[in-house]
Amino acid sequence: MTFEWKYVDHALPFLLEGTLITVAVSLLAVALGLLVGILVVLGRQSRFRALRAFIAGYISIVRGTPLFIQILIVYYALPGLGLDLPRFESGVIALSLNSGAYISEMIRGGLMAIPKGQLDAARAVGMPNRLIWRRITLPQVLVLILPPLTMEFTGLLKSSALLSVIGIVELTRRAQEVIGETLRSPEVWLATAALYFIMCFTLGTVTRRLEKAAAVYRL
Amino acid sequence: MPFSFSVIVEAWPTFQAGLITTAIFCCAASVLGLLLAVPIALAHFSRSWAARVPAAVLVEIVRDTPFLVQVFVIYFVLPVVGVPMSSTAAGILALTIHGAVYFSESMRGAILSVPKGQVDAARASGMSYPLTMRRIVFPQMMGYVLPPISNQLVGLIKDSAVLSIISVPELSMAFQNVLGTTFAAPEAFVAVAVLYWLLTSAVTLMMSRLERLTPTHRSAQEMTSLLAKADR
Repeated sequence: MTFEWKYVDHALPFLLEGTLITVAVSLLAVALGLLVGILVVLGRQSRFRALRAFIAGYISIVRGTPLFIQILIVYYALPGLGLDLPRFESGVIALSLNSGAYISEMIRGGLMAIPKGQLDAARAVGMPNRLIWRRITLPQVLVLILPPLTMEFTGLLKSSALLSVIGIVELTRRAQEVIGETLRSPEVWLATAALYFIMCFTLGTVTRRLEKAAAVYRL
Repeated sequence: MPFSFSVIVEAWPTFQAGLITTAIFCCAASVLGLLLAVPIALAHFSRSWAARVPAAVLVEIVRDTPFLVQVFVIYFVLPVVGVPMSSTAAGILALTIHGAVYFSESMRGAILSVPKGQVDAARASGMSYPLTMRRIVFPQMMGYVLPPISNQLVGLIKDSAVLSIISVPELSMAFQNVLGTTFAAPEAFVAVAVLYWLLTSAVTLMMSRLERLTPTHRSAQEMTSLLAKADR
């Protein structure tokens, strides 16, 4: 079987449609993941022991089990608990819960990089805690975590391929559909891999630029 | 629906078989991957572009495509171009290549952490390149290379869950089978989570033991006391 470009040409419009969904899912997941991450960091400083224990449990489950199993659980198990979600939503939720745990670690790292003197100074001039968080801490942390966050987004572009298993028609699922129709797996899989590669490679370059920019900011 | 342990007990043979398969696949892939990672890491430092370029291309391709797509390419595309593939061979090959690339990246970082002056000095005093690597670079890079590799081994175990998609009968396949036959989602999830957690904790524990044996790990206090003795 020889490699024939016409099958790549045929597949490309379908694959690009799938790419759009892949990007959308990953963007949603990284945005929600950031929200989850901030909540986790705040919850960890809570006075309530039950809340802290719950968060610790959540983080160790997310980090200790494969994402693939987490996706299946959110899709198959939540309906049993009375939460019947469409595939797209349950896929986004599984990815956000997963990356939220990792993003919370990034935020913690970012928080530690902020000089303690700034907080003392802010307190000394009479800023309330809430205002310190909003004006001093959060803006700096967001800049500091921008590089790891783009890296997390790249990771999500790749791991969102697993959502094909629960039937979300993103890039990988689209590829399977096109192969089902044309029976040309080499052309379609290589084109699919190339699309992922282009996205992730570009983002990798962006991440390195951002890292340099953030390093300047850190001084 | 109350949580019942009897579901887990009854499904235990399925889980056990899956656990063993996952363990075998991960062991094979990590050993092969670590072996393959050494030449990939060394190729990055080669003076000849014929070694540097292929290594860099392989690393970029593996790092910038999803593991699932790599598995599909190996399992579905290789047979079409004339390389026969069983799901077992495809699974181990995919895990091995994926692992090797990530291992090689940590090795590369660890090699870079050894001051270049030491290599120059060793070469200048007449040590051959392999001897320099064996006596000067490798012993010192161990402390830097083991922690990231420990993380990547855990990642490898988690990534292996994907192999159930090409019908490798591993742990997550067992989980899906139990889920499909008993419909006991919480029980199946608790069982599979605990089993993966046991596997990853065993690896983490083993690696931290190994870390304690490496020279660099001991160095901090011991080297200062050694140097103090040498001064006298």
